[in-house]
Amino acid sequence: MIKFITRFISQYKEYFLLVLLIIVSLSALSSNEKPQVKRIRTFALGSFALFSEAVNSLFSLFHAEPSIDELRRENADLMLEVNRLRNYKIENESLRSLLSFKDTASYPLIYADVVSKLVNKIQGNFIINRGNSNGLKVGMPVLNERGLIGIITETSDNFSVVKTLYNSNLNIAVTIQNIQVDGVLSWNGNELIIKNIPTTYNVRVGDAVVTSDFSSLFPPGIPVGTVSKRETISLGLLHSISITPYTDIYAVDNLFVLMLVTSKEINKLEMNLMK
Amino acid sequence: MVLNYFKPALFFIPLAVLQLAVVPLISINNITPNLILVMLIFFTLMYGQIFGMINGFILGFILDLISGGLIGAFMLSFTITAFIAGYFYNENKLDINTASYFFVVILFICGTINSFLYSSISNSNADVGFFLLLIEDGILPGIYTALFGIPIIIFNPKKGIE
Repeated sequence: MIKFITRFISQYKEYFLLVLLIIVSLSALSSNEKPQVKRIRTFALGSFALFSEAVNSLFSLFHAEPSIDELRRENADLMLEVNRLRNYKIENESLRSLLSFKDTASYPLIYADVVSKLVNKIQGNFIINRGNSNGLKVGMPVLNERGLIGIITETSDNFSVVKTLYNSNLNIAVTIQNIQVDGVLSWNGNELIIKNIPTTYNVRVGDAVVTSDFSSLFPPGIPVGTVSKRETISLGLLHSISITPYTDIYAVDNLFVLMLVTSKEINKLEMNLMK
Repeated sequence: MVLNYFKPALFFIPLAVLQLAVVPLISINNITPNLILVMLIFFTLMYGQIFGMINGFILGFILDLISGGLIGAFMLSFTITAFIAGYFYNENKLDINTASYFFVVILFICGTINSFLYSSISNSNADVGFFLLLIEDGILPGIYTALFGIPIIIFNPKKGIE
C-alpha cells in the first residue's frame, strides 16, 4: 500500500507540488493584513527600495534641481490654496461654519521622490523615499502641484507605499464642484468613473471634481480632475461620469505628502474597509 | 542541480530593480513587460516544470514583498505560469525552446496567462470587465513581454532551428 502511494505521488509529483504551492499562495493572499506579514513586508520594502533609489537617482541626474523642487512645492501650496478659495466662493456661510471642523486651513507638505512603480491596468502602486522617520503615516494623502495622486497605505522607516488613483481597490468620495454633487470615484481599469449620479443634475464636461467633505480619508477640496464624459445608464435615470485626473499619474516622479490624517479613528476604519 | 536554483536568484535582483524602477518609463498606456517572467520561463524551459514552479513561487513571493502589491498575487500567478511553461520543457529540444522564435511564442502564451491571472487575483472591483482583464491586462502585456524574449534568442549562443 505504502509502495503504491509512494509510486502514485512520484508519478504525479508535479500536480501535488502545484496544489501545495497554490494552497500556500492562497493562504498568503488571505493573510495580507496580519502583523507578522506586514513586518516582513516592511523590512523587504525598506531594504529593496535602497537599490531602486540608487537606480532612480541615476535617471534623475539631469533634472530636478533644488530650485525646481522648491517651485513645485510652492505650486502645490498655491494649488491647494486656490482650490480652498474656490470652495469658499461656492459654499454658503452657514454650511461652512457647520463643517468648519473639517476645514483644512493649513497644509503641511513634505516632498518625496518616487523610487519605484508597480504599473499595470488594475493595481497602481508607487514606493516613495519618505517613511516613518519623516513623520509619514498610513492614510496621508499624496498629491503634486496639479492635484491628487493617491494615499499612503504602508510605511517603513524610510519608504512608503502609495496606492494611486489608478488602483481598482481605491474608492474616493468626491464632489463635482460646480453643482456640489457627491459621488464615489473608482478606477475600472480603463478610466476613473463616478457612478450613479442622477440625470437631474446638470453635470457638464469640464466641471471640476474635488475630494468631498464626506471623505474622512482625504481632506475636502483637493483637486482630482475634470469631467471628461457623461454616459446615461439605467433607463436614462442615472449618469456614469468619466473623470480625467489633473495629474498624469504614471509620469509622476516627484510628489508631496499632505501631513494630515483627518481622523485617526475613522481613517483606521475606512482603511480597513478599503482592504 | 541544486546550484541551478541559485541562478535565477542571481539574475533576480538586477531584473527586479529594472522592473520596478526602469520598466515603468517604457510603459505604453499602463502596459508593461514583465522581465522577471522572461527569466522564469527561460529557466523553466531549461530545467523543467518542478524547477520552474518552485522558482516562480519563491521569486513571486519576493516580488510581492518588494513591489508593494498584494502578497500572494505574483506567487500564485508565477507558480501557475511556470507549471504551464513546464509542458513545453523537453530535454531533447532545449535549443529549439530557448534559442529559437518558439521561445517568443511560449513567452507570449505564458505572459498572457500570467498577466491575466495577476490582474484577476489582485482586482476587487466588480466594474472591471472580463474582456478588459483578458485583452488589455492579458494579451497586450503578453505581447510586450514576448518582445523582450527576442534579445535572448538573438544573443543566445545555443541558437537552434529558426
